[in-house]
Amino acid sequence: MIIAERKPVNELLDMISGVKKLLVLGCRGCVAICSAGGDKEVGIISAALRLGRSRMGEPIEIEEATLVRQCDPEYLEPLPDMAKDYDAVLSTACGVGVNFIADRCEGVNVLPGLNTTFYGANLSSGEWIEMCAGCGSCVLHLTGGLCPVARCAKSLSNGPCGGSTGGKCEINPSVPCVWHRIYDKLMDRKEEKRLQEIMPIRDWTTAGHGGPRRRLREDLLP
Amino acid sequence: MSVKIKGFCCNYTASVGVEALKEAGLVPEDFDMVRLPCTGRLEVQDLLEAFEKGADAVFVAGCMIDTCHNMSGSKRAAKRVGYAKKIIQELGMDQGLVEMFFVGRGETGPVVEAVREMVSRAEAADS
Repeated sequence: MIIAERKPVNELLDMISGVKKLLVLGCRGCVAICSAGGDKEVGIISAALRLGRSRMGEPIEIEEATLVRQCDPEYLEPLPDMAKDYDAVLSTACGVGVNFIADRCEGVNVLPGLNTTFYGANLSSGEWIEMCAGCGSCVLHLTGGLCPVARCAKSLSNGPCGGSTGGKCEINPSVPCVWHRIYDKLMDRKEEKRLQEIMPIRDWTTAGHGGPRRRLREDLLP
Repeated sequence: MSVKIKGFCCNYTASVGVEALKEAGLVPEDFDMVRLPCTGRLEVQDLLEAFEKGADAVFVAGCMIDTCHNMSGSKRAAKRVGYAKKIIQELGMDQGLVEMFFVGRGETGPVVEAVREMVSRAEAADS
């Protein structure tokens, strides 16, 4: 899922400076699952902003709402009408939701309530870890299912760098060297021959270096 | 100076009601306490809204960690108090203005002590 985290309250207060009526708009997609922008977090952020503005002597009127998702057009349809009485909409979706509202909802002053951080998995309650970089050219079949793009600090394609020590990455001893793990995994599977295959120089065009990416599926188009 | 203190406690904390404590002169007049089925039900939003509604300091009195009637209710409450501390600190407030107290079942004395402690913190923050 997409992992995100709340922006510091002071940053949000600066962002809504001068706003008298605000709609805090949550999303029940990934950000609800990672406890950053669902119904509960909308309530917390709204309460924090009301308290902050009240302490500044500038009370603010805040309403709360949450959409099923902010990244599908059908759920955004009612938004222009919902938002017309507000000076701004603080979206607690990921950056996709904020962009989608900005693109599609004319007249809506949308602001980001979260910092969108990575594609990750939930290790345990309150702990998430990056697992995928969305690079658009998956090599997991060559690496025992472990991603060297997202999980190697240098995104190396052909084995570890010289900084790997005792199975740990040089950036931080708490971070496993993913190439060490790939080696162990392929050896366990008796697929060590894969380690001798040289991955060609990566074409980063699919990773966004060729500009914003778009995917089309003819069979699904209207 | 009079400070306003808001408390939240669970069904099993403090066997004596707020009015009785006030009548006995044990807590200030500007003290209010909400009794919940379990402090684990408390949300961060409730703590922040207590400040927004005028409380100078807010506390939660829940069961001792290992004797919570609902196993982990007071532990959850303590974590939510911790998050509320982070938010009020981001707002420039003293994080000590919201606190968790673990209190023995049915005991009133520690609740009175908690109120007095929060009065003291609120007065210090205001000076």
